[in-house]
Amino acid sequence: MREAAIVSQANPLQRIPGVAIVLGALIVLFGAIAPGFLSPANLSNVLVQSTILTMLALPMTLIIMTEGLDLSMGAVLTLTSLCVAIVSLATKSMLLGLGAGVLVGAAFGTVNGWLVAILGIPPFVATLGTLGMAQGLSLIVSDGQSVVGIPHSVRDIYSATLAGVPVPIVIALVTYAFFHALLYHTRFGSYVFALGGNREALRYAGLSPNKLLIAVYALGGTMAGIAGLLMTARMNSGHPTAGLGLEFDAIAAVAVGGTSFERGNGWLLGTLLGVISVGVLRNGLNLISLPSSVQVASVGVLVIVALFLDGLRSRA
Amino acid sequence: MNAHVSPPGETAAAPLLELRGISKAFPGVKALDDVSFALYPGEVHMLLGENGAGKSSLMKVLCGAYQADAGEFFYNGEKVTIASTADAQKLGIAVIFQEFSLVPYLDIAQNIFLGREPKGRIPGTIDRRRILADAKRLLDTIGFEIDPSIIVNTLGVAQQQMVEIAKAISQNARILVMDEPTAALSDRETELLFALIARLKADGVSIVYISHRMAEVFALGDRITVLRDGRRIDGVKPADVTPDQLVRMMVGRTVDMTYPRHFADKPGEVLLEVRNLTAPSGISDINIEVRRGEIVGLCGLVGSGRTEVARAIFGADPVASGEIVFDGKPISGEPDIAARRGIALIPESRKSEGLALLRSVGDNLVVSALRKLFPSGLFDPRGSQRTADGLIRQLRIATPSARQTVGLLSGGNQQKVVIGKWLAAGAKLFIFDEPTRGIDVGAKSEIFALIDRLVAEGAAALMISSEQVEICHVCDRAYVMREGRVAGHLTRNELTEENIVRLGMHHA
Repeated sequence: MREAAIVSQANPLQRIPGVAIVLGALIVLFGAIAPGFLSPANLSNVLVQSTILTMLALPMTLIIMTEGLDLSMGAVLTLTSLCVAIVSLATKSMLLGLGAGVLVGAAFGTVNGWLVAILGIPPFVATLGTLGMAQGLSLIVSDGQSVVGIPHSVRDIYSATLAGVPVPIVIALVTYAFFHALLYHTRFGSYVFALGGNREALRYAGLSPNKLLIAVYALGGTMAGIAGLLMTARMNSGHPTAGLGLEFDAIAAVAVGGTSFERGNGWLLGTLLGVISVGVLRNGLNLISLPSSVQVASVGVLVIVALFLDGLRSRA
Repeated sequence: MNAHVSPPGETAAAPLLELRGISKAFPGVKALDDVSFALYPGEVHMLLGENGAGKSSLMKVLCGAYQADAGEFFYNGEKVTIASTADAQKLGIAVIFQEFSLVPYLDIAQNIFLGREPKGRIPGTIDRRRILADAKRLLDTIGFEIDPSIIVNTLGVAQQQMVEIAKAISQNARILVMDEPTAALSDRETELLFALIARLKADGVSIVYISHRMAEVFALGDRITVLRDGRRIDGVKPADVTPDQLVRMMVGRTVDMTYPRHFADKPGEVLLEVRNLTAPSGISDINIEVRRGEIVGLCGLVGSGRTEVARAIFGADPVASGEIVFDGKPISGEPDIAARRGIALIPESRKSEGLALLRSVGDNLVVSALRKLFPSGLFDPRGSQRTADGLIRQLRIATPSARQTVGLLSGGNQQKVVIGKWLAAGAKLFIFDEPTRGIDVGAKSEIFALIDRLVAEGAAALMISSEQVEICHVCDRAYVMREGRVAGHLTRNELTEENIVRLGMHHA
């Protein structure tokens, strides 16, 4: 027991190599075998396409730090994207569309948190349940069809630039800055560490772990709502399978980034690098014309390699 | 029994905190029975007692984790209630737990001020510079030189303990409760802790100190309260008492002693021999011998390495050096090898480790013997049923049938099923870890009768128990562990509670 405490992981900087090596290796690999991979346009494209995943993976990091999981994120994103499409189509207002998406997303996140914190349902099961609900609702509101004809104000969000930088990249950076400040510089952030690391310590400090846990899941749902706007803008429509499997990529990015599934050991920058790794992998495989089925499998391999490295690290 | 003892230094100071007539019962156990306890300002008050004497319960009542069934609290002479940990905190009572209440991936400063962070300019943020400065100042006052921005997870046990103490002090704790604080510390770290305790005392902080080490009791204590069976036996000052007298106060529990035991005239051949066994789990240089027909006790305090010895013999933990000879041949490796050779480990948590609670009595009885019963690999329900029925009769397991779900049986009968399971597998050496925990008195006698019969038929037993009375009445011999080593061996004639406690504590 004593040895275990002494041979502990040092500062988070020691984790840089893991995910950085993975990302570096992918860039070198695709730079060599995928034509056009290293062109500025393609690299910018990789980042733009990583925006939505960033917005899911960052809150997912916080959820996983609480020793939780949110499997419903992809399905909730699909639903919020449809809400954005339907409401903005009806009202011709991008902001009202965003509001609808955020509202629905936050509601799902709060329900997830409530199921986990108050009812004590294991996160895997609770969010699997809401995944099904969100999927079903998506089919109902869309009638199984794409929602088309959405206003330009929505579509422009994905294609516009700000001082030469694509707006999605700006949004991703702002999101990252927000989460970084939240986790490392606020009281709430400290309590997220404590939720996974030592919930008793929170209780002893007179704080309510349950309320905090609900807030963490609600944040995840809210982010899925905002990401819904970007998804609708990107597809120029609402589509009933738009977010299919995105929770998988988000969890993969968090795992690749070195966040541990135990004891509140999380690292946001690692998640960001993990998101880019997943983006690079998918983009590179696209460029060498491998079918999307192979892409899914390759992200799976990436996760296993990352968790294997995680295991090596914790044993070392 | 006098409820009051004069305060330290003979000054007639009033107690800072006084507990009167505290009782606390759990189903089947009276954890605390009319305990009174007075703590004076600036004193180190030692709490002494065997495993299960009520020290931890008293501590938990003190810090509000348990609510007492009866009794009163007085703080500075005023009647108060401690109904929650928040109440205790308001009174300035802080507990340094053995398992720390720290968040592993936050830094020292954030841990100290968790929930009370200095607010930054932007709402919700932490004033980083102030939290570090405040933490630094606090750490300085307790003489702990360390950078408060270091992540707690990278600290050693002693350093984490210092952070815990700093955290308690930051909450204006006037009363610190420490539960065996030196258990995981090196000699040097212990010295640092003692120096800190002296400084806290000088500042008027009162300390309740639970210890199993006689040397500490006399080196640090201003007063000593001895508990036994949930009762306060006496309150004394170190100067007025000898270690031997303290030991005598601790032992002598009143327990039903009608355990059946037929001692063999002369022990059988050696079945298990452990030579110079050292294992990374924290045991070193263990030498133990168990003969057929014997029940050998393995005692010592919780955490002294008893369970680790059992696990090493069974192959459940890796071994660094030394030799284990079983039935004439060396044994090493995995639990399944040990089990096939005839060693049975019956763990303390039989619910999690010994039984499949949702399966039937019959399934549980034959599960370890499947290879032996059905060498062809084909399962024969009727053969299985016969074996199970035979064992149920032989062990007198009280169950309506072999099809009954094990989880529905009483604790004693569950224990019998575990024993039966190993018997079916052909076990010769039974290692019991706390075999009577959670079992009522009647069932205890039956379990001992069963063990007695097993060894009379040529098997042997190694019994780990914190119930020293039981060891004394049932065992042929006993080894006493202390801090990972065998501190001594007691023959049948030497086997008394007093001798066990003496060897188990830091006191020869």
